[in-house]
Amino acid sequence: MSVLTIEHISKSYQQGEIEVQALTDVNLKFEKSEFAALVGPSGSGKTTLLNLIGGLDTPTSGDILLNSTNLSELNEQALSEFRLFQIGFIFQAYNLVPVLSALENVELVMVLQNIPTHERRERAEHYLEMVGLKELMDRRPGALSGGQQQRVAVARALAAKPKLVLADEPTANLDSENASALLDIMHNLAKEEQTTFIFSTHDVRVMERAERIITLQDGVVQSDVSE
Amino acid sequence: MKQAHTSSLPLSTFVMLAWRNLWRHRRRTLITLFSIAIGFGLTVLSIGLQDAGHHSMVKNAINMGDGHITLQQRDYLASPANYRYISHGKQLMSVLSKQSIDGKVVPRITLQVLASTANNSVGVRLQGISPATDPLHKLLKKNMTKGHWIEKSDMRGLIIGEGMARKLKVKIGSKIIIIAGKKGGDSESHLGRVRGIFKSGISELDSYLIISGLEFSRKFLVAEGAVAELKPLTRIAIFLNNEEDIAPLKATIKIINPEPDVAVLDWQEMMPQLVQYIVIDDISAYVMQIFILLVILFGIINTVLMSILERTREFGLLRALGLKRRYLILLVFIETLLLSLMAVVFGWLIGGLIHWYVAVNGIDFTGMIPEGTTFAGTFMDPVIYSELSVHRVVQLTSIIFIATLASGIYPAIKASRIQPVEALRT
Repeated sequence: MSVLTIEHISKSYQQGEIEVQALTDVNLKFEKSEFAALVGPSGSGKTTLLNLIGGLDTPTSGDILLNSTNLSELNEQALSEFRLFQIGFIFQAYNLVPVLSALENVELVMVLQNIPTHERRERAEHYLEMVGLKELMDRRPGALSGGQQQRVAVARALAAKPKLVLADEPTANLDSENASALLDIMHNLAKEEQTTFIFSTHDVRVMERAERIITLQDGVVQSDVSE
Repeated sequence: MKQAHTSSLPLSTFVMLAWRNLWRHRRRTLITLFSIAIGFGLTVLSIGLQDAGHHSMVKNAINMGDGHITLQQRDYLASPANYRYISHGKQLMSVLSKQSIDGKVVPRITLQVLASTANNSVGVRLQGISPATDPLHKLLKKNMTKGHWIEKSDMRGLIIGEGMARKLKVKIGSKIIIIAGKKGGDSESHLGRVRGIFKSGISELDSYLIISGLEFSRKFLVAEGAVAELKPLTRIAIFLNNEEDIAPLKATIKIINPEPDVAVLDWQEMMPQLVQYIVIDDISAYVMQIFILLVILFGIINTVLMSILERTREFGLLRALGLKRRYLILLVFIETLLLSLMAVVFGWLIGGLIHWYVAVNGIDFTGMIPEGTTFAGTFMDPVIYSELSVHRVVQLTSIIFIATLASGIYPAIKASRIQPVEALRT
């Protein structure tokens, strides 16, 4: 059974007096521990689709089902809960809380999930070790490089044990060495944790590592190719 | 669909986050705290001085006037006249002496009379007192410039102020004829002699008061038909050591008072114009303080709002990660709460220091208040020492705390309205 099902999703929004059609009749299914890339030029609808899957935005029409939960049936509060327990986010610009240390940033979502202190500390340290940052876990984001910050974000996303990790251009601000290292980490974790990864990118290096590439053009799925 | 789990963030995490957020811009937080503290310090000083000024005026009015509680003929306040006296003064004093009163019970005879000499005649207030025990003795004896205080046995002795001496052109030993109009239309006159002259600097005392022994003044009551043996008085003034005794003692005296024609009044009832003056003065000060508070508040709102707006992206992230709207409000609220608590501490540090300095050293207003200036029939001591009651401390702390806290409401609502998608785009 699919982890995520996207059925006839369309999204339009008003830009001044013009109605912009961001997505048109998108239908997709994702399986457990898939490592899939959404590709396409800027404005093709990649980020819009990720936002809809993550419950950050609502579609104009269509349904998104994650493990049989229909997102369109959830109110704002339930959507917050949904994001908290089901989704892990990795954003383009590192998005860590600057006043928290790397360890505290990784713990943050688990704190929200009410995970006991001892367990969340253990998990946070474990995932920071997996992304190679255990030694730097007491540093605040300002004292970490861009690549290190993004690895903290990956650890944060996975430590909360989500069903799905959504990453919006995760390597966009990284040099090739850091980007490659991050992709290795993400790919390994997807397999080890049996977590589905969907990420948007127009980075060729990322596309090469993806097991499935979905191409979007003007809000329409142009192709959907698996290895 | 309902999720299997629900989230609730431990308060300690909020407090830790809020605390660190506050110190993200150390200088800005310190400037905000400092501006609150300075504003608060000025408010503490102005209220401390104002309360001390009022207290001084009330204290002087009570000492100069007729005590914390006054017993007098029921109609006297509405329509003062020499024939409205307490006929059974002795009996009433005896009843009061059986009460354990922490203070002084003082018999007085106050009359509106004409003082006449060969040179001039002026309308004055004749105050008949027990020369040795009346608080006026303590208040004025130290201000004697000529002559001496009257002895208990002195049946004709008068004490007057320098202003009165000038008006009547008298000196020590001079005769003054005291003339009082009687109810029937006649008049009663008695001769007195100046024994002493004082200078208090208060025009109400220096120019309009003549002090005599009780027996001298009592002659005028006897002329109105009073029986001398019953020791008639116009009032009994009770000076208490503790202001908190006023209400219970007043209630007790009302019960034990054997004279239905005698009213028991507290100082507020005796001096409504002074109460009114203090109320109006308080209101004008409150209005000024509200303006100061508003200026401070807008400063805080500006600071908190700025810190919210520059964290729009971060709030969007927290919302995206699953932090509920109400927790975001709570986070901003706790930030403001911590700011409020620090504002109270900082405010009291600066305000308390200013207050302590002025409470110990006082501020000399001699140059600002011309000599002899009176307000509502009383006067303010020239050097004022700031005073703050527990009630004021609680009131001021609450005001600064609530006001600072309230200034966080709008920024908190603003933060809660942040949409994660839009915020993350910024």
